[in-house]
Amino acid sequence: MKKPATGLGTAPRPTLVSWIHHHRQAASGSLRRAFRLPVATGLTWLVVGIALALPASLLVILQNIEAVTSDMRSPARFSVLLEVGASLSDAQDILKRVESRVDVQDVTLIPQDQALARFAADTGLVGMLDSIPDNPLPHTLLVNPIDNVESEGLAQLARALEAVRGVDQVVFDTLWQARLAGVLQSGRRLAMGIGLLMMMGAVLILANTIRLAIDARRDEIAVIKLIGADDAYARRPFLYTGLWSGFGGGLLGAIMVGIFFIYLAEPVNQLLQLYDSDRRFTGLGIMGVMNMMFLGGALGLFSAWHAATSQLRELEPR
Amino acid sequence: MIEFNRVSKRYADHDALRDVSLTIATGEMVFLTGHSGAGKTTFLRFLMLLERASMGTLRVDGRDTARIKGRNIGRYRGEFGIVFQDHQLLYDRSVLENVALPLEIAGFRPRDIQRRTRAALDKVGLLGREKANPAVLSGGEQQRVGIARAVVARPRFLIADEPTGNLDPQLSAEIMGLFEAFNRVGVTVIVASHDLALISRLRHRIVTLKDGRLVAGAGL
Repeated sequence: MKKPATGLGTAPRPTLVSWIHHHRQAASGSLRRAFRLPVATGLTWLVVGIALALPASLLVILQNIEAVTSDMRSPARFSVLLEVGASLSDAQDILKRVESRVDVQDVTLIPQDQALARFAADTGLVGMLDSIPDNPLPHTLLVNPIDNVESEGLAQLARALEAVRGVDQVVFDTLWQARLAGVLQSGRRLAMGIGLLMMMGAVLILANTIRLAIDARRDEIAVIKLIGADDAYARRPFLYTGLWSGFGGGLLGAIMVGIFFIYLAEPVNQLLQLYDSDRRFTGLGIMGVMNMMFLGGALGLFSAWHAATSQLRELEPR
Repeated sequence: MIEFNRVSKRYADHDALRDVSLTIATGEMVFLTGHSGAGKTTFLRFLMLLERASMGTLRVDGRDTARIKGRNIGRYRGEFGIVFQDHQLLYDRSVLENVALPLEIAGFRPRDIQRRTRAALDKVGLLGREKANPAVLSGGEQQRVGIARAVVARPRFLIADEPTGNLDPQLSAEIMGLFEAFNRVGVTVIVASHDLALISRLRHRIVTLKDGRLVAGAGL
């Protein structure tokens, strides 16, 4: 009497150990495959690299501008010019009213005589100003808003100060800062928008690369599925192909950004010196390089997962 | 045990199998024969879950195969060794890597894979050709690689679709001898072949299909 076959004989390894082994095999196999096709791999890396390098460069440039301008910034401040005929006691009344506002931190009164004396000292026109019968300068209040007031809050305060009786004009001394902040914020959003579009492009290109890779190995996939591989096993090498393409692209992108910044650093640093700034133009740094590689890897993995899952489901052995 | 119970497969323009009922005992060796288009390949495709029945049930060791779905299909297929007429080898891998594939999928240790792959190649007379690319081997040798791959994981069932279709009579007899050797150690073997002269010399049940119907060999 024949003894029936009992299946696999020596037992396979525990599932987790075997799963890790499969991953190691898929990872090294797909890397070897990538290096066997250096031109195709290089082009894929280049596309992903460019997609990441452009927004990364913009963001780093913006960071540098923010760092430089933060040295030049002073807290937001308004100069409130009172009407020319207003008396000192009127000015003190207005000071009290302005000081009582919750969005105002402190107020300093510069009486018109003191203003004229400072102007005379600053300009050296003491003799000439003495000949003017009336002081043409108004009393002035220097108003410092509380910290962390957004630009909308500052505009509201300006409107409120202008509405105070006896106030002739409100001058926002740090308007340029608000404008710069607006420009930087717009720049950041622009970089993010471009980055998003470029990354979508990279995802589509990576997904297409994976689809072509699956198509090229269609027969192999059919065979391995026929001899017992499930979709996860068949998909794994392609996930690693996507991951390596993304990592490689991220690394190449970081190198491109690095080269661009080396090219840019010298003239920018000279310019900063001209402005007496101690700042130096800084590049991505190690963390930036790592971030680009991880972002590239995540994009690659996502693209590969999406492409492989849908395509392998349809690819059954014939 | 494999049980086909009134299995039919209907395509839009023809019936591939019609009301087939057949039982194959565990450890049996069965030849499936018939003309081209008789339904032999469809029969084997049912076993590999590449086709589902339009009517009837197929049970393998008591399991209703219609209920095997998703990732369990891979596990189920792993219980079978399959030999193709056109070998279906991977030509970017060595002989050893081709034969080792089922063991890798099943998750064996590398040293066990090496040992068992070499043993399987030894059985089919290809030890010493492990590093060769299958493309440089003769048709008979490639078929042996396919057989080694089919049996390396010690499957419970071995199925072969026209495994001697491209081979000369002497090589065909050798290949059949290999199948018999595996059957002797308890593997259930099902071979689809239209080479009546060859299979009638071997003392195993012959099941004949004609136009999708079972016309002979239904009984155990």
